[in-house]
Amino acid sequence: MNGLTLDPPAAGPGPLGRALRSTPVAMALVVAVLILGFGALSPNWAFLRTSNLSTITLNVSVTMLLAVGITMILAAGELDLSIGANVVLSSVVGAKVLVALSGTPDEVRAAQYPDLALGVAAGIGAAVATGAAFGAVNGLLVTRLRVNSFIVTLGTMGIGTGTALVLTNGSNVPYVPRLLQTEFGVVRLFGVIPYPMIVVLAISGVMLYVLRHTRFGLYTLAIGSSREAAERAGIRTLPHVFRLFVLMGALAGVAAFLDLTRFATTNVGGHQTTALAAIAAVVIGGTSLFGGRATIAGSMVASLIPVILATGLVILGVQAFWQLIAVGMILIAAVAIDQRRRERLK
Amino acid sequence: MRQIERLAEMPEAGPAIEAVGIEKRFGHIRALDGASLAVRSGEVLALIGDNGAGKSTLTKIICGALAPDGGELRFWGRPTAVASIRHAQDLGVETVYQDLALAPDLSVAENMFLGREPLMRRLGGLVPALDRRAMRARAAEALAGVGISLGSVDRTVRELSGGQRQAIAVARAVMWARSAILMDEPTAALGTRQTAIVYDTIRSAADRGLAVVVISHDIPKMLSLADRIAILRQGRTVAQERAADLTLAQVVTLMLGGNGREEAA
Ligand SMILES: Nc1ncnc2c1ncn2[C@@H]1O[C@H](COP(=O)(O)OP(=O)(O)O)[C@@H](O)[C@H]1O
Ligand SMILES: [Mg+2]
Repeated sequence: MNGLTLDPPAAGPGPLGRALRSTPVAMALVVAVLILGFGALSPNWAFLRTSNLSTITLNVSVTMLLAVGITMILAAGELDLSIGANVVLSSVVGAKVLVALSGTPDEVRAAQYPDLALGVAAGIGAAVATGAAFGAVNGLLVTRLRVNSFIVTLGTMGIGTGTALVLTNGSNVPYVPRLLQTEFGVVRLFGVIPYPMIVVLAISGVMLYVLRHTRFGLYTLAIGSSREAAERAGIRTLPHVFRLFVLMGALAGVAAFLDLTRFATTNVGGHQTTALAAIAAVVIGGTSLFGGRATIAGSMVASLIPVILATGLVILGVQAFWQLIAVGMILIAAVAIDQRRRERLK
Repeated sequence: MRQIERLAEMPEAGPAIEAVGIEKRFGHIRALDGASLAVRSGEVLALIGDNGAGKSTLTKIICGALAPDGGELRFWGRPTAVASIRHAQDLGVETVYQDLALAPDLSVAENMFLGREPLMRRLGGLVPALDRRAMRARAAEALAGVGISLGSVDRTVRELSGGQRQAIAVARAVMWARSAILMDEPTAALGTRQTAIVYDTIRSAADRGLAVVVISHDIPKMLSLADRIAILRQGRTVAQERAADLTLAQVVTLMLGGNGREEAA
């Protein structure tokens, strides 16, 4: 090969071949096959009913939102294991603020919420602010103490969960208005698309644009690909990484409020496998665990897989817990494939 | 920037870049201990020294990647504390690093514009976006300008050979440089023919009025290519002479030690 001549693009795969090699497209095919497969196996094609598919979308919304955030974090070569704990803590703070401002203690105990609008607005603000603050703590620890983000967020995962339990004495925040659920959390646009999913799709669309078309996105990938190269290009990498963790935290705060509207209660014992599910979706979707290569579309599509598996298995009368086993195995396979790809290109 | 270009046209203002008595320590290691060099616009200065002499460290101090512990930098005679790589870039100084400093997962075009991407506006000027078309076109043009024929600037750097990567780093520096280029062993990964192209590029950059500092172990070639030679030994500049006044034997002696200064004079 001639050192100064970049080879003309090889007469390789056509548009179809290239599309099939792109992970998001491949994942979309896998998802389609799973849906059709479960449809065929389920009694009377029950799996394919609009109501079932709509429920799957609702069940996937929080994981998808977190997966979109994790895509940005992994793109920069970092990791955030604390997102589940962040969702729990942010929903606790959001719920407490919401309940406290919606009416007097006596009123809310009687399910009366005279100041509901104020309460909801403040609750959203509190949840997102708590999430962002949680992310800022992660970001500060990672960039100031220079401790690996795997360890930092493993630590803050425990700290966040513990704080939520301390704040609530281990029981869920009481008197969260049911209206959140009946007016938003389980409502569907045209009877099909759950409201929370609309929020998730809107945010994901913005993030997709940011990663692909803005300096912020390019710098994120540059940092993940080679921090040294990014710094030599004049990019201030530590502030950028800090901002990414704040962004991830804010998204966890949004997810926390969506969770609150969906269940009309906090879930202080929950979200223990949320980080695993989101990170698995991101890696399965084609984002490199080693940074530098990321696809938000791939993460969004792949985040459907665990929920489709769980729902499909239930309809088939198999324990849904098998889904955890399947996702764990797919995750390991996806990382192995990613590693191979890197080694081949070395 | 405009002001700098005007300064560059005034040789009486002093050398484009001057480093005087630069010191740099890494813990107990004295990487630089009185390193000096001066290079004028339109001139090629070869910086020569044994491994570990401090050549890369001096380059990084001039381009703002490292802060010196002592000494002074002057640009066109004006003392300047280079605060950051951005600052050096604003002075028109570009660098080819020994390790190239390319992001392997980004495309050739993205690497060449990283940190200085052209933007366009979408949705009636509300939303900023990378102007990828402009990046591609100008990157391809810059690569062609240094004699690199090219299939696609969309390929990631990871897919390219060591020689191709080095060529991209050189093309990037040439594309952005307005007053000076620092090249730290820019031909280390290149074959004979490609090396010749880079040497041509260095000469033509100087002919266009840029000040060029090139680090190389090919001393015979430096004696013919460079206008002047600076020799660094154990972090100290032991000689700075016109290339025409030096022989290969003198350079080697100065570089490796002995009473080289007298011999060169
Ligand atoms: N970041 C660093 N940390 C510690 N020591 C360093 C660092 N960079 C360079 N050095 C040391 O400084 C000296 C000069 O290195 P360098 O400038 O790379 O030399 P050269 O480029 O001439 O081979 C060497 O002894 C090297 O080990
Ligand atoms: Mg060196």
